Amino acid sequence: MSPRLKITKYVIERLSQIDTSETTGCLYGLMYDGILLVVGLSLELFENGKNTYNQLLLYLPAEIELCGVVKFSDSLIIENKTKEVLQDVDITDNPLVIIISKNKDMKAYFSVHDKFEETNYEVMESDELWKQFLHVRLNTVLPLTCEATIAGVKNILQNKRKKIASGQVSFHIDGTAVYLFGIASDVGVTGTSTEANIGELIDSLSPEQPSRKKKLNTHTLEIVPVNAVMKTTKDILSDKLVKTAVKMMTTQRKPAFCISMPLKIDTLAMIHRNTKLSELYTVLVEAACRSLRLLESVLLEQLGQEGIGDGAGLRLPETFHYLPQELGHFLTRVVPKDIPDESMEKERMLLHEQLALPLDKPIFRRGNAYTTYGGRLVNPHEALPLPSTSPHITVALVRGRYTYHHYMQDNFNDDGWGCAYRSMQTIFSWFRYQGYNTTNIPTHKEIQQCLVKIGDKPSSFIGSKQWIGSTEVMFCLETLLGVQSRIIFANTGSELQSYTPELIYHFQKHGSPIMIGGGVLAHTIIGVEYNAETNETRYLILDPHYTGADDLTTVIGKGWCSWKNSDFWNKTAHYNLCLPQTRPCI
Amino acid sequence: MVRAIYSPEYCLQYLEQFASQEIFVTGLILGQITNSRENVIHLARTPEEKSTDNVSEESFTSDKQEPVKNLLGVSEAWVADHAKHVTRMLPGGVFVQGIFITSDEDIFEEPNYFSKVKSILNYMYRILNSNRFMFANCPDSNERLILHMSTNTKVLTCKSVEIGGPNKNTSIKPVEWKFLSKPQQWQRLDCYYEFDDVYPVIVKNSGISVKQQFQQILESAHKTIDSSVMFIDGELKDGSEQLEQIIKKKKSKNNTKTSQDLPKSMHVSLFVPFENALPETVEYLECDGSIHFSGVVSSSVFMYPKATVSEAIAAVKQDIIRSLASRFTMHCDALIDDNLLPEEKVCFNEPPRRVLVPVGSLYLCDYLFPGEAPAEALLSVRELLDLQITETDVICDIETPADTSEFDALDRDASSEELLATPQEASQFMYITGICFALFVLVISILVHYYDGIVDFIGKILTKS
Repeated sequence: MSPRLKITKYVIERLSQIDTSETTGCLYGLMYDGILLVVGLSLELFENGKNTYNQLLLYLPAEIELCGVVKFSDSLIIENKTKEVLQDVDITDNPLVIIISKNKDMKAYFSVHDKFEETNYEVMESDELWKQFLHVRLNTVLPLTCEATIAGVKNILQNKRKKIASGQVSFHIDGTAVYLFGIASDVGVTGTSTEANIGELIDSLSPEQPSRKKKLNTHTLEIVPVNAVMKTTKDILSDKLVKTAVKMMTTQRKPAFCISMPLKIDTLAMIHRNTKLSELYTVLVEAACRSLRLLESVLLEQLGQEGIGDGAGLRLPETFHYLPQELGHFLTRVVPKDIPDESMEKERMLLHEQLALPLDKPIFRRGNAYTTYGGRLVNPHEALPLPSTSPHITVALVRGRYTYHHYMQDNFNDDGWGCAYRSMQTIFSWFRYQGYNTTNIPTHKEIQQCLVKIGDKPSSFIGSKQWIGSTEVMFCLETLLGVQSRIIFANTGSELQSYTPELIYHFQKHGSPIMIGGGVLAHTIIGVEYNAETNETRYLILDPHYTGADDLTTVIGKGWCSWKNSDFWNKTAHYNLCLPQTRPCI
Repeated sequence: MVRAIYSPEYCLQYLEQFASQEIFVTGLILGQITNSRENVIHLARTPEEKSTDNVSEESFTSDKQEPVKNLLGVSEAWVADHAKHVTRMLPGGVFVQGIFITSDEDIFEEPNYFSKVKSILNYMYRILNSNRFMFANCPDSNERLILHMSTNTKVLTCKSVEIGGPNKNTSIKPVEWKFLSKPQQWQRLDCYYEFDDVYPVIVKNSGISVKQQFQQILESAHKTIDSSVMFIDGELKDGSEQLEQIIKKKKSKNNTKTSQDLPKSMHVSLFVPFENALPETVEYLECDGSIHFSGVVSSSVFMYPKATVSEAIAAVKQDIIRSLASRFTMHCDALIDDNLLPEEKVCFNEPPRRVLVPVGSLYLCDYLFPGEAPAEALLSVRELLDLQITETDVICDIETPADTSEFDALDRDASSEELLATPQEASQFMYITGICFALFVLVISILVHYYDGIVDFIGKILTKS
């Protein structure tokens, strides 16, 4: 019997927007409850006779597997190359084929005994996806010592994978007494009931989560941290117990170069909340092995390069997880430590092409990586109800992720004078989390030092409580990030409205937050709405004057992040706006 | 509350036997301290001293000499050496807790005698502290027991003194010594700890010190084992829970009728977290050797059933490290040359393996070098523990000696490191040797063939000059 089919909203949207000359793509999905859920796709470039999806699979969280193909054609014709892809589908006996016609009509077929049967599908909305699924993130460090040769690295990593798959490893859910054991042990789970599922466990860990909060933040992403421990004792009851007493063998050989490093495994698996804890073990083993294969490929690639052949210049592989808003699923990359993002553009370009992502903005630079954002609020405006949509209303919002910076943060009292600094920090965070750079968000002092350094302010400015305005923001962005800004002067608050088209254009083209200074106040504009019928403009304002804790409910409830009408602006004050510009790059 | 010690009844007979013969004897008190009770396991008479100026490792032989008649004649070093050797035979959680003396003097009242007793205990403390991986001094208490039976009055007195502290005038505390009519029950915990580590080393011209290698292995093993998580019968237990309770719970769960059974051994498993404190760099070095340390340490510890899980965990961890340290010390003491010479391509070091020997209602251990028969263990049990056991009492199969064929197999398994003599290289070597030999034969035959001519030729040159 073929499974039921669900497709995430993300995939549906990506499919409807794809504009490609390629004829074939691959579909990635996971199985739960007899349902095949399609969560991702890539374009199959069929380059160099290699199937690119095999490498791409290593980038995806464990449990997500190849599940079928998508054809961009008007008829159901499966040529040999595509057939080969379908044969690689292991997750289900009935590989999926989706046909996208020229006029973007979509049909789905399951392959049943080499015949294609059309099937219905359900669309899974994005908030439903995040509600039903969660991620487990395995973090552990394997000490790695081997000969600095390709064979040496291959060998030892194969051994490590064998060891992890042998059942000797146990996984421990951080902060709990829950340990998961492999086949080498007769107990599957300890610390909780064997019948428990992961969702219940997570809920039991944070019982007093106010439901109100959950309603506000629809994109709550749950990540369960897991670590690993290695069994060092043998099973006494095993028939295969070898009891040879400890001994030491010393071997001499030709002098050879060895490398020794801590191999950091940082890997994800995407699982349904109803997954039983007892089923989690094999998922984590697969996640660890995926990570090891990815780490291996980066080490081998380096060893194959000129100059690093003997391992002397080998760099530690570093893992980054990305959750691009377009994709709706995680993607993991491993890159050599300290190699600048700029010199890895080629690899990223390929990835953008494979995933049919825009080629004009960074998505997979280090700065784009998913983080915890230092405990600050990320995109608080997403908790607001969406503005009403109608043909005569245009809405343009900030693109991507920023963090909310406001008064009194970092135990630093800037109440009454630091609003423009905070607004600038929000802009800096946007550039950082969009991957344009990896510069740390500057402190007030660093901002002042920068302005003194470029000769804009006297040295007495450092440590003072002097205000700054839009031009200073522009100077700092230019000096510290190399970002150019456009400055708009409005003589009065009323005049501001005439610049609405510029603001809409800014958010559509660049998408960065805008700093606005006027009178004694600075604010951050993160969106505009224009109603053509009433000729009214509303502004989405992120207010840096907030002095409380980083609590989303308060920030939204008390209007520190909210839509304001044009009467929000002082009719008689001058206003200066700083619109940070982006340059197309990846 | 007065400190109380529980001892098996045979210890009383043991002391009385010396007292009735009116002979002066000193010996060690072996026991276990837990929060719920202190138990003595065994009293072991210190063998008679061979000679005062030769207190070496091999000195416990049965040569008879003039026995020491009096406490003041006892050598502190001798007793301490006894304690050191006995500690190797103790499982984790069991320690030398003090000394016993049978004599006609009142050792607590006579200042001379008492200061001698303290001096013996302090010396012992210092010697036992010299190798921290032996866990020879009980980490939980600095109070050592002094048990005295008067040969005159047959009165038994026990007191404790604090040792190792800065305070010279330590207070003496009374101790209540109780005998148990029934043998003490022990909860046994077993595990096999496995080692399998390969790491590169730099041999260069200086060679490798075996002792140093062992020391490094000990240090890393100690760190690893210390950080490990321990499961009992596959489950993570609350540290404050008593071992007895675990058994009871299990019984009520399984609801078996055979509740009269002796408590079965608990199976311990250790899980080591992967190291997180490594420096975040790639180290790069030229190595010309590798060390493969592999095999098991069999561990059996015996706990008072009311001991807590934490106490048991500490004992198991001590036991593995102590056993490793004991083997290494014994192995290095027996080595003629500590240095592995650079010429030796492959070198095996097989430390002695562990065997169990019954003492009272539990087991202590001993170590057998490769090729040694179980009878060797009888000797140390007699000498160091003053006990007679038979060869069949020794449990020899908890560990097996390594044979070299197994080594080869293990090495092929550890494919991360390549041996010097790979097959190709070997054949290449033979090839070159072959050619060299052929050339040599050729040169010789040419010499022989043209012998006359050459002699003639040389003669001519010589005469010319």
